[in-house]
Amino acid sequence: MLLSSPDLQSIWLTIRLATIVTAILLCMGTPIAWWLARTRSWVKGPLGAVVALPLVLPPSVLGFYLLLAMGPNGPVGHLTGALGIAALPFTFWGLVLASVFYSMPFMVQPLQNAFESVGGRPLEVAATLGASPLDAFFTVALPLARRGFLTASILTFAHTVGEFGVVLMIGGNIPGVSRVASVQIYDHVEALEYGQAHRMAAVMLIFSFIVLLALYAWQPNTRKTERRG
Amino acid sequence: MPGSQTPGKLNAGADMNLSMTVKKSFDAFTLDADFSVSGDRIGIFGASGSGKSTLVSMLAGLLEPDIGEIVLDGECLFSRSKRFNLRTERRRIAMVFQQHGLFPHLSVKSNLLYGFNRCPAEHRTIDFGALVSVLKLDGLLDRGITNLSGGEKQRVALGRAIMANPRLLLMDEPLSALDDTLRYQIIPYLKSVSERFGIPYLFISHSLVEMRLMTDNAVLIEKGRIVEQTSSEQLARLRMGQSPVGYINLLELSDMTERDGMCAYRWKGNELLLSAENRETISGLFELSSKDIILFKRHPEAISARNLRECRVSSVFESGRKLGVELEYGGGRLVAEIVPEAALELGIKAGVTIHAAFKASAFRRLSKFDGDTINSG
Repeated sequence: MLLSSPDLQSIWLTIRLATIVTAILLCMGTPIAWWLARTRSWVKGPLGAVVALPLVLPPSVLGFYLLLAMGPNGPVGHLTGALGIAALPFTFWGLVLASVFYSMPFMVQPLQNAFESVGGRPLEVAATLGASPLDAFFTVALPLARRGFLTASILTFAHTVGEFGVVLMIGGNIPGVSRVASVQIYDHVEALEYGQAHRMAAVMLIFSFIVLLALYAWQPNTRKTERRG
Repeated sequence: MPGSQTPGKLNAGADMNLSMTVKKSFDAFTLDADFSVSGDRIGIFGASGSGKSTLVSMLAGLLEPDIGEIVLDGECLFSRSKRFNLRTERRRIAMVFQQHGLFPHLSVKSNLLYGFNRCPAEHRTIDFGALVSVLKLDGLLDRGITNLSGGEKQRVALGRAIMANPRLLLMDEPLSALDDTLRYQIIPYLKSVSERFGIPYLFISHSLVEMRLMTDNAVLIEKGRIVEQTSSEQLARLRMGQSPVGYINLLELSDMTERDGMCAYRWKGNELLLSAENRETISGLFELSSKDIILFKRHPEAISARNLRECRVSSVFESGRKLGVELEYGGGRLVAEIVPEAALELGIKAGVTIHAAFKASAFRRLSKFDGDTINSG
């Protein structure tokens, strides 16, 4: 068999994690991106910087602070304790929470760019035709920004699949719970199982290539021009 | 098909009464406007940057005035003192923008129905089929927006605004993105659709020709202030002296016949000779600048201009440092532009007879007529 059962388990876990994180970030990132694209508030700069932090922070730094926050003495730990929920570190849902923060710029920034490209005029037109702001958002802004949604979703999914540092800090290396594909490859290398590491790495490589290929294939054709008359 | 209104001129004479007292300050510009207008074909005329678009954006609810009040047909749309601002989507004021503003993800038909579908049921009275027919969009309904020509896009934008059955239609320089040929092809649609469906409009432009073709009365705005309210025709005459092109006489010429290498047209019971390059135009709208008409006290012995006509001076008006001379020629009227010294030499005053000459090449065709005419005079 090409991949062992633990390999397949880690791949399945990775796909589950990336899917859930992408879904959560679509819901969370859309209003944040919309607000960032439309606001003139001074808060735009600081909030944009916070969203972009994971792009420059070492994953271990982010993971460290998230670990402290989710720990029994952290604010998230206090909250989960008060709600009677088990502590999040070294659990799948702890991994989901950490990944949401870590992958947030990959969702928010493409969406913000897409909304900014739509501009204000189509929404103004919709308003003069009787559409409420919410109606205009769903019937005009969202369809016009659909390529941004596709790009953001693919990038978020792919980035979550490729996580390593944050996963190790928050999730550890628990089979079936937090041992994702990247950690599984690391384990194979540590155990000098290069053949298995090769096969897993090849799967990741092919996956990443297909993701990027899909992304570029869906880019708008900039040479396409409208007929004038 | 949606709607139940029957074709024909509907809700005829649907005038609007608009009162705006608004002030809005920007970094380097302040709009301070106070005016009231009523009618169904009102223009707002001004140069670029004079505040026209700011004014209509406030009327549509897209921009909030710093202070002031806006009242349309007795209903308050905005009042700073009452802390009231009716939301854009509830004002029932549709707009046709300079750039059509069509939704590229929707088909022509879906664009047309966007506002209609959001109308309260009692206002869904515009007959879709009749509108499509008037705008000649029959063959385009299932097409995407990106495949339309500029003129087609503007017709769809107009239709979309009309389908929303607004109580007022704002047209913010809807022709400025189009070339001359398309511009004068669209004007009959703009006029006929709003007239036929009884929707009053406010037409914004920096073109006096468009203003005269589209509106009866106009508000002149300069540097953010309303400086004049008068008829569109009067506005054109008042500004003749400042305009490098003078007063533009608009003539609907018809029944072209070729004669001696020239084109002979009928105009108000008269005949006018135009140069041969117009031979493909049987009838159309032409312009003739007031600067291209030369006046003679007596019939000249010989002259190169191919149009020499005896006219009666019906009125003389001042415009800056120039004088406008309104000439009656058969059933038509032309305005010529002269300096006061020339008026003295020629003895020009209302009622005298004079000779006017204009070259066959002085006419410029604005549009061909294809069934639709522009009632320009």
